[in-house]
Amino acid sequence: MFTRTLCAALAGLALAPLEAAAHCFVGARFLPATLTIDDPCVADELSLPTVARFNTGDDPSARQLDISAEYSKRITDTFGVSIGRTWTHLSQPAGMPDVSGFQNWETTFKHQFLTDAAHEFVMSASLVVEWGATGAPEVGAERFSTLTPTLYFGKGFGDLPESAGWLRAFAVTGQVGYSIPTSSSTVTIDPDSGLLNFEFHPQFWVYGGSLQFSFPYLKSNVIDLGLPDFVNRLIPIVEAQFRTPAANNDGNPSITTGTINPGVIFAGDTFQVGLEAIIPINRASGTGVGAIVQLHLYLDDIFPTTIGRPLFGNAPAPTKLFGG
Amino acid sequence: MRNVFIVLMPALLLGGAAAHAHAFLDHANPRVGSTVRTAPREVTLWFSQKLEPSFSSAQVHDAAGARVDQGARVSGMQIHLSVRSLPPGAYKVRWRVLSVDTHTTEGSFSFRVGQ
Repeated sequence: MFTRTLCAALAGLALAPLEAAAHCFVGARFLPATLTIDDPCVADELSLPTVARFNTGDDPSARQLDISAEYSKRITDTFGVSIGRTWTHLSQPAGMPDVSGFQNWETTFKHQFLTDAAHEFVMSASLVVEWGATGAPEVGAERFSTLTPTLYFGKGFGDLPESAGWLRAFAVTGQVGYSIPTSSSTVTIDPDSGLLNFEFHPQFWVYGGSLQFSFPYLKSNVIDLGLPDFVNRLIPIVEAQFRTPAANNDGNPSITTGTINPGVIFAGDTFQVGLEAIIPINRASGTGVGAIVQLHLYLDDIFPTTIGRPLFGNAPAPTKLFGG
Repeated sequence: MRNVFIVLMPALLLGGAAAHAHAFLDHANPRVGSTVRTAPREVTLWFSQKLEPSFSSAQVHDAAGARVDQGARVSGMQIHLSVRSLPPGAYKVRWRVLSVDTHTTEGSFSFRVGQ
């Protein structure tokens, strides 16, 4: 798969645009790749690895370790495709064997349809596809596929009046999606009674957001406090993600689950490292505090003339500034 | 944990090399958001990457929106803006640059002359 992608990338170089904005820049605002939810831009990026450890919402809880990777590729300046997969290890409660395996493959087709540089505002829409029966059922990978149309936005507050001061360094991002399984239920036969069991596959609202404070933005656009370079690259962040059953929920508890994830992202020149705590909002979301860490590579910066460019593009040549 | 560190190391090295990346405003004189007692004769911007001179520039405007610089000179990672004698007040610097690896970035900041 990677070889084919690489070949396609190289073949598209001749058509690549001369000027690139690349990872999530909206005017003067840089929105980092978030760990828990997706950011609102298309980009050439690689998240490898993302490691998360937390307790599941089962009763009793299992200890879950997820190690995942995601490769994002721009096909054009505004359309991109991401491919990701997660390996899961479940440390089960006493008396049950530990299990490991891959979750289903996931693909995201995303279109960034609005970029308003002056107001640091960006929106995109995507279709997230979880491909059924491509993972291990032992770790919860379903036999059916799931389609999730999703809307994303990002907004920086740099367009507030100068008097707003430090508030201008804040930004928010968010996403709302509706998750639709391709199969409404699974029917099994109880081996003891011979009766049919119906397991319904609910549709869910999946949504979340982030609130971020950008020290890089503060230093370059609001006030240079002379802080150390390390601090000037930090973006403290709080992410939240939720899931609420919406339909076909017969027999399942109708309860919203989710986590609140406070943490920090360090933005380097060609990579970022993020670390967040995972705090479940209720018992059904898990127990205790987990953690997630991610290394994220900006391929558009590491390979600006090869695989870090869109495959196709007709962006205009760079224009001189201010007509000058 | 050691495995994670081994995976992280190549990226840290890549970040350290950082020969090609977006050009960010590293610092400026007068400093971003500062108040200076004496009016500067020149505004200088330092960036984190080498700039493409033909497609990089900046302007200085006063509080009324009038342009007060006399043109930009791009040299390596810097932009120099000569300015007229600036009376006390607030000034805004707008910049947009193209780094040598074709990435465009932009931004603006203010400084004050006087009290």
